[in-house]
Amino acid sequence: MDIDTAVVLAAGEGTRLRPLTRNRPKPMLPAGNRPILEHVFDALVEAGVEELVTVVGYKRDRVQNHFGPTYRDVPVTYVTQRKQLGSGHALLQASEAVDESVLVLNGDRLIDAGTVSAVADSFAETGDPTLAVVERRETSRYGALQMHGDEITELVEKPRTDDYRLINGGVYAFSADIFTAIEETPRQEGELALTDTLERIIEQDRVRGVEVDGMWVDATYPWDLLTVAREVLSRGRVVEAARSDGVWIADSARVHREAVLQGPVVVGQDCEVGPDAVIGPNTALGSNVTVGSNAVVQDSVIDADTRIDPGSTLMDTVTGQDVHLGASTVVPSGPADVQVGTSIFEEQRLGAVIADRARARGNVSFTPGSLVGPKARLDVGVTVRGNVEEGAEVTR
Amino acid sequence: MCGIIGCVGRGDETLDTLVHGLSKLEYRGYDSAGVAMAGDSLSLCKTSGKIADLRDALSKTALSGSVGIGHTRWSTHGPPTDSNAHPHQDCTGDVAVVHNGIIENYQTLRDELVAAGHSFTSDTDTEVVPHLIEDALAEGAEPEDAVRQAIAQLEGSYAIAAVVAGTEAIFAARHDSPLVLGLDDGATYLASDVPAFRDFTDQVVYLSDGEFARLDESGWEVTDSDGLVVEKDVDTIEWDPEETGKSGYDHYMIKEIHEQPRALRQCLRERVDEMAGTVDLDDLGDLSPTGVQFVACGTSYHAALYGAQLFREAGIPAQAFLASEYATSVPPIGDALVVGVTQSGETADTLSALRAAEKRGARTLVVTNVVGSTAARECDHAFYIRAGPEIGVAASKTFSSQLAALNLLTLGMTQSDEAREVINALRELPGDLQRILDESRAEEVAETYTDAGAYFFIGRGLQFPVALEGALKMKEITYKHAEGFAAGELKHGPLALVTSETPVFAVIIGDDEKARKTVGNVKEVEARDAPVVAITDGQTDVHRYADHVLEIPETHERAAAVLANAHLQLLSYHTAAKLGRNIDKPRNLAKSVTVE
Repeated sequence: MDIDTAVVLAAGEGTRLRPLTRNRPKPMLPAGNRPILEHVFDALVEAGVEELVTVVGYKRDRVQNHFGPTYRDVPVTYVTQRKQLGSGHALLQASEAVDESVLVLNGDRLIDAGTVSAVADSFAETGDPTLAVVERRETSRYGALQMHGDEITELVEKPRTDDYRLINGGVYAFSADIFTAIEETPRQEGELALTDTLERIIEQDRVRGVEVDGMWVDATYPWDLLTVAREVLSRGRVVEAARSDGVWIADSARVHREAVLQGPVVVGQDCEVGPDAVIGPNTALGSNVTVGSNAVVQDSVIDADTRIDPGSTLMDTVTGQDVHLGASTVVPSGPADVQVGTSIFEEQRLGAVIADRARARGNVSFTPGSLVGPKARLDVGVTVRGNVEEGAEVTR
Repeated sequence: MCGIIGCVGRGDETLDTLVHGLSKLEYRGYDSAGVAMAGDSLSLCKTSGKIADLRDALSKTALSGSVGIGHTRWSTHGPPTDSNAHPHQDCTGDVAVVHNGIIENYQTLRDELVAAGHSFTSDTDTEVVPHLIEDALAEGAEPEDAVRQAIAQLEGSYAIAAVVAGTEAIFAARHDSPLVLGLDDGATYLASDVPAFRDFTDQVVYLSDGEFARLDESGWEVTDSDGLVVEKDVDTIEWDPEETGKSGYDHYMIKEIHEQPRALRQCLRERVDEMAGTVDLDDLGDLSPTGVQFVACGTSYHAALYGAQLFREAGIPAQAFLASEYATSVPPIGDALVVGVTQSGETADTLSALRAAEKRGARTLVVTNVVGSTAARECDHAFYIRAGPEIGVAASKTFSSQLAALNLLTLGMTQSDEAREVINALRELPGDLQRILDESRAEEVAETYTDAGAYFFIGRGLQFPVALEGALKMKEITYKHAEGFAAGELKHGPLALVTSETPVFAVIIGDDEKARKTVGNVKEVEARDAPVVAITDGQTDVHRYADHVLEIPETHERAAAVLANAHLQLLSYHTAAKLGRNIDKPRNLAKSVTVE
């Protein structure tokens, strides 16, 4: 691969993933039991990138602290986008750190090394701006596009019609000219979107598209982290040691010999799993998670420092970090209608989303599809229905 | 503290390698720097000030050779000037020496050398060494023997590296001051501390006291004081040199404060078993002490005060001593285990105290962060806090990890009804600490009191060492007056200092008698118009008397001490940042104090 440097955009919060983004940006939410951004870095490192320039902004400390100055021996540098004024503006922040051709990626989507290499190789042929193109039935959440040959003829953000089947994969290769092109792009309501610049280039010049069919997974809403985890586990993209087929356990984790792990399942560093607990399938435990005896955790993503006390049952559940669920907590699975703001998402397969530092004292039941805000306190024996605000107390 | 680097076998890159090594030693604190290169003749460049000043000076000087030594100096004898900077030379200009430590008989040696006609250009103790080598060379000794003869005349502590014109080799020796060799294909390095060459190799050989090393193009050889070859183990360094980068943070200190959840996880890893309620102390075996004496300095002393209290709570007599005082007047030890607490494992005062205890037949243990450090090698046992490298001169994450490690030590060595509760609290500590980092309002508080005349910190029981540490951090990085007091002592004197210009930071945990009494002390200062900042889990009504509250989650009081301290770290950091202080390298301070 001819391009040594990648700029990864990780400055935005990802507001549709609230309340999980209360303390960290979307790229730091778990794909399995590792941050999404770690998977992006993996793809870049495996494709041969030698420098990772990361644009950080919202809660940037979490990114910097997690990765530090190197990732898998590749230097990581950080540039700060003080205000989140669009992807073009974000990329512009990195101009000082880049002097030649560069790969540009969104830090909040899972991709693989093949996609990165395909874009870089295609770019090398002509030097025109190049982007990865992904086929999707559902294009309305993404940037859709039309192609003629390998040239992109149209870019439309979140199209309202069903006429499109291709979307912008968010993996680009550019020469250093891109920075001038962004600067020349007029701001829309103060913001600079990278796609606005690309649209101008499409009009005046050429933008190449390269169709890729590797992994391409995006989480739009909190419950999407469940499907992301399935994808990650089915591809074995975990760092823990494999104990048997589809069962990965970190060396430092303590799993009681009378606990049952049903693959695919991953147990992170420093976890403790008690006797007769049943974990999996399709479940990821982040680091330092404690699962008490006789607890059942299925099809769930349990983030770091969370404690699930004895006798609890969790199905299709996403927890944030440092959530404490007291003994005999019960979260049954959906399908359920989930309310986000004023929108209702019908028939979602979801038990509950429980954000960072929420506390359930014990014997708490959740109706399927509940969203619980950070630091909410749920008293003994309550039943949670629907949404609970940040810091709210639910008492009987 | 002073830093040494040496390099053989990197050809034209030797000089760059030396300067790079010096920049990696910057974190130890220094006020001048220099390098010397040996070829057929010797060339040298040194200057007071920063590494950048040395680079400037080098751009105007032609230095050549494939063997060289370099030094960052932190003044002990004589002010930070160009002439006092290392390397030092002899009268002929054919010998150059760098040195860490203190040569105690230097005045006698210097008087003799001056009487014999040598002229000195610096105020340093080090300068006697090149002149001694010069004399030995003049009497016909081979360079290696000349260096040996010179070193044999020294008393005190030293890590020394010397080069001689016409000899493509570095000669080095140590006594009570660290030196380590780095081995790479075709190149050999020498340094006072691994980060100096860690970018080039992870293969190291630690020199022991009394050993002598020769590095040249053909490799390296370590000999004892009689010149007999010593077989040395080659160790592999596991940590990543890039951890010495700031990764987007403004200062190492704030980076290290944010690293605490991870550092704590590493400290606890595979040592605690919550389900079983047990702690496994690596291979320390069964020490079951009948008494414990802690020796430590600075921040580590505050950790020691905390540790002593944990042992006393478990019914074992325990005391914490300032290491420098302990070494001066060693108390009766009896059967007590003597425990040194030192981040670097190289703290000279703590090493002296441990050696004094060992001399009296005591069993010794060190709680340290640095594997292979002098303390780790000299003590009977070592227990590692596993905090990872700490670059900021003011200790932050290592204090938290020391407290966690001392909890493990107590749990592992004693019986306690509270064991399960404490283990549970320790396992929750990383998450709880992350909460402080995410939510602390310490920056606002710092902003409010940036112009305060003085800062006072009070606490009782386990929170007393936290008050002391809070004050020390404030002093170290803001240069402002700060004191920590046992809350009950306030009215026995310090209360006279309290005014409306002196905020009082009170650490109040739980709602037991201790906490209620401290609330009483808070009322005393509030009545004297002092602003009050309560660091509390909110179980008392202290918020009624406080101007600001820094909240910590409810947990065991042992874990609460770590959390309260995190707020105080952030408070000092943000105060220092607002005052524009040199946070990572505060004036007059060094990371590891390797002189007594």
